Amino acid sequence: MTGTPEGDTAPTPRAGLAERQAELVAALVAGGEPPAGFAPGPLAATRAALLRKRAGEVARHWPLLAAGLGAGWSTTFADWAARRPTAGSLRDGWDLARELHDRQALPPAAAEELAVRKARLRYDGRRAPRPRRAPAVGRAGGAVAVQIAGRVRLLRPASRTATLAGDGVPDAAGSSLWISD
Amino acid sequence: MRRMTGPSGVGIGWRPEIAGFVAGLPGLRFVEVVAEGVPASGPLPPGLTQLRERAVTVVPHGVRLSLGGAEPVDPARVAHLAAVAQRLDAPLVSEHIAFVRAGGLEAGHLLPLPRSRDAVDAVCANVTRAQAELPVPIALEPIAALVDWPDDELDEADFLTEILDRTGALLLLDVANVHANARNRGADPLALLDRLPLERVAYAHVAGGAEHGGFYHDTHTDPVPAAVLELVGALCARRRPPALLLERDGHYPPAADLRAELDALAATAGFPSVT
Repeated sequence: MTGTPEGDTAPTPRAGLAERQAELVAALVAGGEPPAGFAPGPLAATRAALLRKRAGEVARHWPLLAAGLGAGWSTTFADWAARRPTAGSLRDGWDLARELHDRQALPPAAAEELAVRKARLRYDGRRAPRPRRAPAVGRAGGAVAVQIAGRVRLLRPASRTATLAGDGVPDAAGSSLWISD
Repeated sequence: MRRMTGPSGVGIGWRPEIAGFVAGLPGLRFVEVVAEGVPASGPLPPGLTQLRERAVTVVPHGVRLSLGGAEPVDPARVAHLAAVAQRLDAPLVSEHIAFVRAGGLEAGHLLPLPRSRDAVDAVCANVTRAQAELPVPIALEPIAALVDWPDDELDEADFLTEILDRTGALLLLDVANVHANARNRGADPLALLDRLPLERVAYAHVAGGAEHGGFYHDTHTDPVPAAVLELVGALCARRRPPALLLERDGHYPPAADLRAELDALAATAGFPSVT
């Protein structure tokens, strides 16, 4: 066939839209190349706004993680999340808490929150967390939580010496399911 | 159960954090609830059950359908919205002219479509798919966008009117979004109001926002600015929508401040106070 425009000038309409939407999302949440033709300023503002919304959502699922980091929550979360697409607020908060734990930067209250979650849910870091059926113990930063028949109790609080974190008020603006537009 | 009447008067977005405040509003006839937060079966959040017992109209508001996505809308998400509408006995549902995921990645929030013919086709196809499964009419909400696509072919009014005409959907007009887009694009919000089909408005959203980094952000976590309230007045002067809904999604202020915002909306539109 001749005379049919192809390539960038006239892609298959719907397929072209799908591809360009995918490029835009990747540029906003996964560190992808900015799609052609978009102004950088508005793109950066959109990226920052999405991160703020996401931080608020994760803070609602992990209130002690956000509270424990205090004034540093927004930047800590944004630094961690900027090139990581969301896996949902539960996993986002869990993954960040694990990373902070490994860096010995997890605040004590957040360690207790993590220990409680670990006792309740099984999470391998790759698939959605699932409830534990059998009795289980969760540990993080010295905190120990135990779950029996679905009830979780914190047996030992986290160590409160040599913490690196602040203790301010969380920036808990909204939540994943309750934010609208 | 008695079918609820359409949205009327001043309402507020129901959120778990302010359920007590909302329950204590004596004149309230209308709330909106984020549809993805309501289970399709099992117990409803207790605050919502109370409102239903008072025959308060509850409109499910979807935020994750991605009707503007190039891919077909997920039937499971439409089924959930339909089930929620049914169990809340809602007179209508609402969603956005936006997409929230593409290429297997979640954006996490509403993103704008290019105002192109292809995008009109994509969103109309998805709205039609949704309408086939929904038990009640759908109202479509134009979003606030910080970024515009380089390949816009239509202006905002033509883009929206074409989608509404082709789908027969109602319009959920967000006054704060109109303000935000006009402010961020350097356009005149009144010129847009003059060209929208205001007779199709099912209800209007009003929310707070803030200036930040050279943009107006529609945050839903700040007070409603005077400019947005003035735009509500300008909308009502042209054609008063049946209902106005205040959206607040976080950084909840003292109850007195929220009541004052609801009263200001009622006074601006000439609706009875709900507080």
